[in-house]
Amino acid sequence: MDLRLSPRHERFRDDLRTWLATHLKRPWREELRDPKHTEDGLIELRRAWQRRLYEAGYLGMDWPAEWGGRGATEVEKAIFEEELARADAPPILNILGIGLLGPALIHHGTEEQRRRFIPPMLSGEEIWCQGFSEPGAGSDLASLRTSAVLDGDHFVLNGQKIWTTFGPWADWIFVLCRTDAQDRYGGISFLLVKLDTPGITVRRLRQITGESEFGEVFFEDARVPRSALVGKVGEGWRIAMTVLAYERGTMSLAYSVRYRRDLERLAAACREHGRTGAAVREKLARLLVDCEVLRANGIRTLANLADGKVPGPESSIEKIYWSEFDKRFRETALDVLGPGGQLVRTSPGARDDVDWTREFLWSRAGTIYSGSSEVQRNIIAKRVLNLPQEGR
Amino acid sequence: MRFDLSEDQALLRGSTRDFLAAEAPLEKTRRTIEHDPRGVDRETWGKLAEMGYLGLVAPAAAGGQGLGAVELAVVCEEVGRTCLPGPYLDVVLAASVLAAAGGQDALLADVVAGRRTAVLARADALYAGETKETTRFANGRVRGTKHFVPFGASADVLLVGTPEGVCLVERPFDTVPLETLDPAQRFVTVQLDHPAKLLGPATLLGAADRLAAVGAGAQLLGIMAKLLETTLEYVQTRRAFNRPIGAFQALQHRLADMLLRVESTRSAVYRAAWAVAAGDAEAALGCATAKAYAGESSRLVCGEAIQMHGGIGFTWELDVHLYFKRAKTLEQHYGGTEQQLERALEAAGL
Repeated sequence: MDLRLSPRHERFRDDLRTWLATHLKRPWREELRDPKHTEDGLIELRRAWQRRLYEAGYLGMDWPAEWGGRGATEVEKAIFEEELARADAPPILNILGIGLLGPALIHHGTEEQRRRFIPPMLSGEEIWCQGFSEPGAGSDLASLRTSAVLDGDHFVLNGQKIWTTFGPWADWIFVLCRTDAQDRYGGISFLLVKLDTPGITVRRLRQITGESEFGEVFFEDARVPRSALVGKVGEGWRIAMTVLAYERGTMSLAYSVRYRRDLERLAAACREHGRTGAAVREKLARLLVDCEVLRANGIRTLANLADGKVPGPESSIEKIYWSEFDKRFRETALDVLGPGGQLVRTSPGARDDVDWTREFLWSRAGTIYSGSSEVQRNIIAKRVLNLPQEGR
Repeated sequence: MRFDLSEDQALLRGSTRDFLAAEAPLEKTRRTIEHDPRGVDRETWGKLAEMGYLGLVAPAAAGGQGLGAVELAVVCEEVGRTCLPGPYLDVVLAASVLAAAGGQDALLADVVAGRRTAVLARADALYAGETKETTRFANGRVRGTKHFVPFGASADVLLVGTPEGVCLVERPFDTVPLETLDPAQRFVTVQLDHPAKLLGPATLLGAADRLAAVGAGAQLLGIMAKLLETTLEYVQTRRAFNRPIGAFQALQHRLADMLLRVESTRSAVYRAAWAVAAGDAEAALGCATAKAYAGESSRLVCGEAIQMHGGIGFTWELDVHLYFKRAKTLEQHYGGTEQQLERALEAAGL
């Protein structure tokens, strides 16, 4: 056992810290509560920030050298996420492009697709959204029905995607669509579609936070060129599965840094309000312990990656752990703050340390998106515990 | 970086597992628990000493192995898995205090070799929050009452915690047995008015507290891992409504949560053990976290193990209750959850 960073990784971390200290002018929290920023303005701010990271060589670090790679591994990426969280940097805007589509193109795309799409994806010039979920296909993703029919050298798309994160701002969407109605898994293909294609409508959806980070995308006889196909016809499901393996990633360390910071602010607020009794202290302590376990899980994953191990289905444990913890954390924050904790950011009397209500509402999302807690438990039951198929 | 055990540590795990499987099968443990007033199988205890387990973290000069907290976690995990009866962790902790205090070479060598038994006497009260008179050291004597002294009736030496420091008391001393819900325990109350030797400042116990958190956390981990395995076997064999009950999603999701608890406890316990061994700045917070989380998780895992076994899970005959009860002992001793939560807040500066 050795949980210390290697000298090489320590150097990487120190360089990154120096870079962040020079280039990050204002923590994200301050940007968020700056009244002059509109929702669209914050998107542009994130785009500009992403460009700086790209120019400094911090995006696509683990990809082949010609696509921005610098021989980095998942270890550097996890350290990168942790340090960005520590510095409270704006979240990377094109996270779905870089996190999901990038690996898909590198593994399954053509040379031409890589050359066309990867550079503007990394620089933030083209923002991607993910067209997987449909009104009738959520956890049971393979029941998706958006169809793509080949007509000459074009696919004609019809159907609807929903819960499309970044849909309202994205330029492009990667779409899982049905090319064969008879074949549940083998009848799915993976297409790259420009959102201003005639026949496509994007509608904003208002979330429980009042924001519209996601939307719905409608396809009505939208024609996309055959060159938009990634892999072969019918390979979409396989590609999506490789892509989703990346989505699970290694975020525990970075998240633990954010929770620890928010916990320190919560504890300071309690002291300020004279909330120093045993009941409140126990609640804070339980959050601290849970946050440290999250950190321990993150350190373990990081060490395993550094030791050359590939994360398997047990990474579902990390997804459940942080998303369920997020709910406990945000509920407890409102508990110990009392009624004032429910004041929204713009209200008179709202605290300016953390946007407690926004975080509280957002915590309801983590156990649903990118594989709900129920789906993650199914994965653990089947693939880690080897329990029999349900009902048999 | 590497989370996995080193080659030596993995060997230690393997040999300990084999040793305990041969020496301390549960049938034998049940005989010891139910019929041996000392609560220890003398032969097994002798072998533990002979193989160097009692001196695991004691310095080589005293006949110990001079190993660290990670190795202690490895051994304690196996102790938990087998539900080994007796004061294993207690003696290791006493040896670590004797070694840290210095000047007790003969006694330490005897403890490591199993010739004499030393345990810590810490608790001043039976019930949490009870304000009792503190045991004090003055004029070469220690006076007061200590409760929940583990296996105190058969101990030769007590290391008594007082505000003045850690005091060494040798037998004979009068003990009153305390019977708890865990039939494997042999706790006693000791009435002290004895000549004693001041070993060193009370801060000596701080390092022992961290080792205790690692050792008890690791035993809880072993207990949980073992019960999860046992329960997984059961739900795949036991049938209802024409299928193994493990095919029901109502159980599958809860088994997944048990695994989450086991694996997260593993992360926390070994991270704490490594931090102690490496002198890492996060050791204090890591230890408090590991013990508090392991204790809390054991409620869920052990409770679900009983529940999923159904009626048989509530019987004396099935071994599950031995683990369930041991977990309760471990949760409330070696720094109970409330204490660990306080320590965590303090270590984090909150």
